[in-house]
Amino acid sequence: MNKIKNIITTVLFAVLIFSVSAVCILKPQGEYSPGERRALAKMPELSSETLFSGEFADGFEAYSTDQFPMREKLRTVKALFATGALGKLDNNGLFASQGHLSKLDTPQNEDMMDYAANKFLEIKNKFLKNDNIYFAIVPDKNFILAPQGGYPGLDYDAFTEGMKSRTQYMKYIDVAPMLSLDDYYKTDSHWRQENIVDIAGHIAKEMGSDILGEYTINTLENPFYGVYAGQSALPVKPDEIKYLTNDVMSEFKVTYYGSGSPEPGEMYDMEKAFGKDPYEMFLSGSMPLLTIENPNAGNEKELVIFRDSFGSSIAPLLAQGYKKTTVIDIRYMQSAFIGNFAEFENADTLFIYSTSLLNNSAAMK
Amino acid sequence: MLFSSISFLYYFLPAVILLYFAVPKPIKNAVLLVSSLAFYAWGEPKYVFLMIASILVNYVLGIAIEKFRGKPLSKVFLGISALFSLGMLGYFKYADFFIANFNKITGLSVGMLKIALPIGISFYTFQILSYTIDVYRGNVAAQKNPITLGAYVALFPQLIAGPIVRYSDVELQLQTRTHSFEKAALGIRRFILGLAKKVIIANTLGELCEAFHASGDKSVLFYWLFVIAYMLQIYFDFSGYSDMAIGLGKIFGFDFMENFCYPFISRSISEFWRRWHISLGSWFRDYVYIPMGGNRVGKIRLVFNILTVWFLTGFWHGAEWNFIVWGLYFAVFLMLEKFVLAKYLERAKGLNHIYVLFFVAISFGIFSASGMGQALSALGGMFGAGELPFISAEFVYNLRSFGPLLVIAAVGATPLVTMVKNKLPSKLTDILEIPVLFVLLIIATAYLADGSFNPFLYFRF
Repeated sequence: MNKIKNIITTVLFAVLIFSVSAVCILKPQGEYSPGERRALAKMPELSSETLFSGEFADGFEAYSTDQFPMREKLRTVKALFATGALGKLDNNGLFASQGHLSKLDTPQNEDMMDYAANKFLEIKNKFLKNDNIYFAIVPDKNFILAPQGGYPGLDYDAFTEGMKSRTQYMKYIDVAPMLSLDDYYKTDSHWRQENIVDIAGHIAKEMGSDILGEYTINTLENPFYGVYAGQSALPVKPDEIKYLTNDVMSEFKVTYYGSGSPEPGEMYDMEKAFGKDPYEMFLSGSMPLLTIENPNAGNEKELVIFRDSFGSSIAPLLAQGYKKTTVIDIRYMQSAFIGNFAEFENADTLFIYSTSLLNNSAAMK
Repeated sequence: MLFSSISFLYYFLPAVILLYFAVPKPIKNAVLLVSSLAFYAWGEPKYVFLMIASILVNYVLGIAIEKFRGKPLSKVFLGISALFSLGMLGYFKYADFFIANFNKITGLSVGMLKIALPIGISFYTFQILSYTIDVYRGNVAAQKNPITLGAYVALFPQLIAGPIVRYSDVELQLQTRTHSFEKAALGIRRFILGLAKKVIIANTLGELCEAFHASGDKSVLFYWLFVIAYMLQIYFDFSGYSDMAIGLGKIFGFDFMENFCYPFISRSISEFWRRWHISLGSWFRDYVYIPMGGNRVGKIRLVFNILTVWFLTGFWHGAEWNFIVWGLYFAVFLMLEKFVLAKYLERAKGLNHIYVLFFVAISFGIFSASGMGQALSALGGMFGAGELPFISAEFVYNLRSFGPLLVIAAVGATPLVTMVKNKLPSKLTDILEIPVLFVLLIIATAYLADGSFNPFLYFRF
């Protein structure tokens, strides 16, 4: 028995490592990991320089890991083993609770909060001439999930107070009490546009504006696996993206300044809706600057929104109350240059940011 | 290159196995030498020349020591070998430590050398020293074939994390060794178990340690949780590496010494060190402690001998004061046990285990630090110094999240699993063994493919 067992063990091991090795060598290189939403490492260039500097070895380690056959399935095996057999409450910092996937919060970072607040102050001092400056913080869904599930999380009240004390020249609009878990996608960090109509109405009211509030709910025919689905590698059901339209919004004239010069765009980018990250359908995702002109506003008011990705889905709702809305993302453009593109005279200004960005604001320029 | 990497498992290892078993016997050592140098050069492309120089110098010195054995010149050549090997170790590993302390004492500001430490230098230096010392003592013959000596020094299975294999232990195997399905299967089993210990258990415990370091919500209990997790992480990482080394050795026909034997079931600190990093402990015993007179000396000299050996043991682990203190901490317990506690510990059943685990846990608080300041802070945290709360939310979360693994690791660190396995019908274990092994290999591969946390802990050695 032992003899046979030894032969089987040896042969199986040899077959496994040699066959996997052959597949590793022969398999064509993949380009992109849809789950992790990132480009996969490629075979590094081999030269005496890269060899002796260690660059080739480092590059090959990344390449061999990224290009490993059936990697996505193995990531799921690992995630299920870690959370199932080992009972870990999170996998790679992501956890599943109440049907939602979420990411463990990073500790409150005072330096990053200062950095964000200083950026806002620079913008205020340089461009904003009136007092119509408003500030809303979108809490991460952990503000509900973490305390209920016993996960370590930010003290969102303390965080909000910290940001408010740093930005006392702005009028703070509290949206947290209006948010429930259902207002967030289950597999993604973002909020759902169809569930934030009341929040948009509340913000508009605080800014002295009025928006319609009647919408047609449209459903995107593309399953939405949010950013957490891929990162966690856990098998989950996809979300559904719903987006709102009405007669006023259908008349919007949207102009993108992605390349610096104006280009006509769509409020809902259907190309991106079927792309790598369907949430980017809202105002075309990562866009440094865009304007929404509303011929049916019935007033001459203008709104400037400084925002992160949470702003993409609420901006079209808020734009109903203004003749022109300028939407700026200072992660993708230097804040010093925004005067070249936006008109601040007599405009309302709204800073709307998620806690995760404010707590990790290094990307703000 | 790490054993726990895709590049090793599915590129390097298959290539070396194929080549090794394809060539005739006389060329096998050359294949091992070349592949070992390639393995080392992968991570240390420049320092591989240092290793080659070390092999060549000690090859010549070994022959010279043998030629003049019994004559004063032999001692001179041994002195040169020791000076060369320890000089390299001193320069690459300890120079900045000495400069920093010199600057502190004198108030001068001599510039640091900031040299990267060649991986595994502490291991292969001790292997080379064991060779030249044993040639000097006449315990082994000088190796006339530089390829054979090179294969011994550079042998990739134990190159970067031990065990410290003595030349005398593998002298015959370097000339003639047998290969069989039995040895290969034993090696494969040992290798996969070691890989699983490292990748699944040690690395996951490492995540807990990282979470502790990153936490802004520390507490006394969180410090203790960290220290226990760290202690188990080091055990599973280090013994996992040793298992992989021993397993790979068996595949290539070698029998390396055991390096760990359930250290946490020890009933005294002396026993703990007979079960923990056995190859290092026995190296210091045979090449430092016994030549100094060992136990057969007066009490004062014995105290000096113990302190010297444990000072060196601590210093071997890293060029920081906390490692020296860590070594001397054990010296104190070893002396206490030798002179006072031994008989009490033997009688105190149960309590003796608690005594070992408690003081070993404290030692890992010191060991985990990157200097004495951090070590004192860790010890302070464990005993509630400052205004540290007793319990914190992050402690509770991490205990819940890592609790099952901690239990698995704690049980796995004892012979319990083997005992249970031995009680099961052999037919059942025979049937289950192969599927279990390959499931473990697939899960370990899944962890590696995921790019999960995979630290290399021996960069300081």
